[in-house]
Amino acid sequence: MKTLEVVPLARVEGDGGITVTLDGKKVKSVTLDVHEGPRLIEQLVKGMTPEDDINVVPRICAICTLSHKYAAIRGLERALAIDPPEKAQLMRDLMMLGENVESNSLHTFLLALPDFLGYPSAIAMLNDYGDDVKRALRLKKFGNHVMEVTSGRIVHGENPGLGGFGKYPSKKQLSEIAIRSKELVPDAVRAVELFSSIEYPEHSEVETTFMSVNAPNKKFGLAGDSILISNGKETDADDYKKLTSERVVPHSFAKRSVYKDKSFAVGANARMINMGKRLEGQAADLFKENYSDRWLRNPLLNNLAQAIEMVWALESMPETTEKIAALDDPVRAEPTRISGSGTGAVEAPRGILYHHYDVRDGLIETADIITPTAQNLDDIEVHMKACAERLLAEGKKDEELLLPLEMIARAYDPCISCATHLVRLKRV
Amino acid sequence: MSSPKIGIYGFTGCAGDQLMILNCEDQLVDIFGAVEIRSFAMAKSDNHEGELDVAFVEGSISTEEQLQHLKKIRERSKVLVAIGTCACWGGPQAMKLEEGGYEERYKGVYGNAKIAVSKAFEAQPVDAFVKVEMKIPGCPIDKTEFLSSVSKVVAGRHPYLYKSPVCMECKWKENPCILLAGKFCAGPLTKGGCGAVCPSHNLPCVGCWGPTDDLNVSAEYKLLVEKGYNPEEVMQKIKKFGGAGVAKLMKDLKPTKKKGAKK
Repeated sequence: MKTLEVVPLARVEGDGGITVTLDGKKVKSVTLDVHEGPRLIEQLVKGMTPEDDINVVPRICAICTLSHKYAAIRGLERALAIDPPEKAQLMRDLMMLGENVESNSLHTFLLALPDFLGYPSAIAMLNDYGDDVKRALRLKKFGNHVMEVTSGRIVHGENPGLGGFGKYPSKKQLSEIAIRSKELVPDAVRAVELFSSIEYPEHSEVETTFMSVNAPNKKFGLAGDSILISNGKETDADDYKKLTSERVVPHSFAKRSVYKDKSFAVGANARMINMGKRLEGQAADLFKENYSDRWLRNPLLNNLAQAIEMVWALESMPETTEKIAALDDPVRAEPTRISGSGTGAVEAPRGILYHHYDVRDGLIETADIITPTAQNLDDIEVHMKACAERLLAEGKKDEELLLPLEMIARAYDPCISCATHLVRLKRV
Repeated sequence: MSSPKIGIYGFTGCAGDQLMILNCEDQLVDIFGAVEIRSFAMAKSDNHEGELDVAFVEGSISTEEQLQHLKKIRERSKVLVAIGTCACWGGPQAMKLEEGGYEERYKGVYGNAKIAVSKAFEAQPVDAFVKVEMKIPGCPIDKTEFLSSVSKVVAGRHPYLYKSPVCMECKWKENPCILLAGKFCAGPLTKGGCGAVCPSHNLPCVGCWGPTDDLNVSAEYKLLVEKGYNPEEVMQKIKKFGGAGVAKLMKDLKPTKKKGAKK
């Protein structure tokens, strides 16, 4: 028995590792282990007011901070029957676009690309790919800027609240975002070029199921009240438990999800698979050029999906900011009841994030948070196992398995801080 | 002179402080050039765990495995800097430090399932376990405060950290006082440096940088209660981020019966 380990799994957010257990030419198991310490946030917010909850829960993750804020807001607004004004809803769309550009640019260019080009980090790429590293930093900075203008701060901004925002941005700030977003489209298109020119190996290919939110009005989007499944089914977000039956495994502080006893995937590829046909503009052209049924099998293509999504996010900003600028600042919508239940489903950059709340007499009675990485963990392991088996069958040495396995895990853009609640190789 | 050797590590938290380092887009290339980043797992693969001039540690400590790792980092680092509210105070996951009930909450999330990864315990700040030379709180840390601190720390000097509570910056910005309008705001109890960002958005300070060290927090707390703020509400609000800092405040507030004390 031999164990190969990758600890820590680098260039991901949070503390994890991969353990591969080998017995001769057989792969006994491949596990993605979450070492990140538990925080028990769902328990800690019990008894809090909804306002206090939405201060705390975004701290689950810095990269997905606005996704957590928004999922909590949507869940609590449904629970307390709050009807937010149009301007607030548009602001939420804009903040999610900013977070999407920030996270996708960080992951594609800076965290994933070094593997495909053979470098240990983006910094090591500076001499040969300096322009691309600078493109990434420009995009990331702009994504951060949009998050700052909408949420009040680059990370953990408190401006978005129940029923509205504390303060709305000026027309000048909004028009600057519109102008800059148009200027940066070519940088995002370059990311698509880079990731579409890569030859993706077939060793990890296994057909899987993909889930995403169903954005309203038949548009591509990052929030919705129902969930689309790549098998053609649709489920109300309130029935999320039917989609994500959670369980605990011994090698991880992250819980796991399965759908009909099988793994499934969430993320930019899932959004493209379920909603890609709804894209418009250059993003639609890039999607049509690059999409194939391989997307249903190969997790590495998530990087390409994220790049196309960045183009969509930038192209969507001018229309969104114009609409926001045309509306007067509204008063905050108030709760119309003090008890109730509700689920918020939003698309964090790495997939669907659910926040479910039961509120009684104005205080949180139960909170249930299911993160995209927790939903993806089983699927990551399925693809890593297939990859390890095929590479061994091809006669690869044990150590040669490690980078391909890491690349699969990284392709899902795992967010281990979020999932809490990563490669070791073992030979038997 | 060789470049100072730096390590950047993350424990239990949201990785927001490491992300803020990556968010220094305009300075990132220069930082990576001026110091030798030996270890930064979130950003790169070729990490070497050896002697360090400065270790920056984010996050609270909540498992046995983390504690052992932290001790090793301490042993091989000349200076250890806690970055972010979780490393400095424990963060949101330490909000019930004074109350106990950890086992029950753990069961509430994981049930009776056995997790073999490592033994977990109630999160505590880094200085509960090892010596910490400096604390740079923030949720997340402020770019400017971090960058100015890094350049001082690597030059072997003590950084100048913002000392005043949030109220100071809030007054500079000429925001209307939220407390005077009758709504609780954690500004007077909270370390500044964020630019009073929440009050500047017409929102009360949520206390996310932890207790200020500029003043007597327990006296300020008593003043707020005298002014008519509900003590339970105030405590609930500042506990969200204050962790060990608020736990200490709660101890300070407990009536002690000293011999010879005036009745």
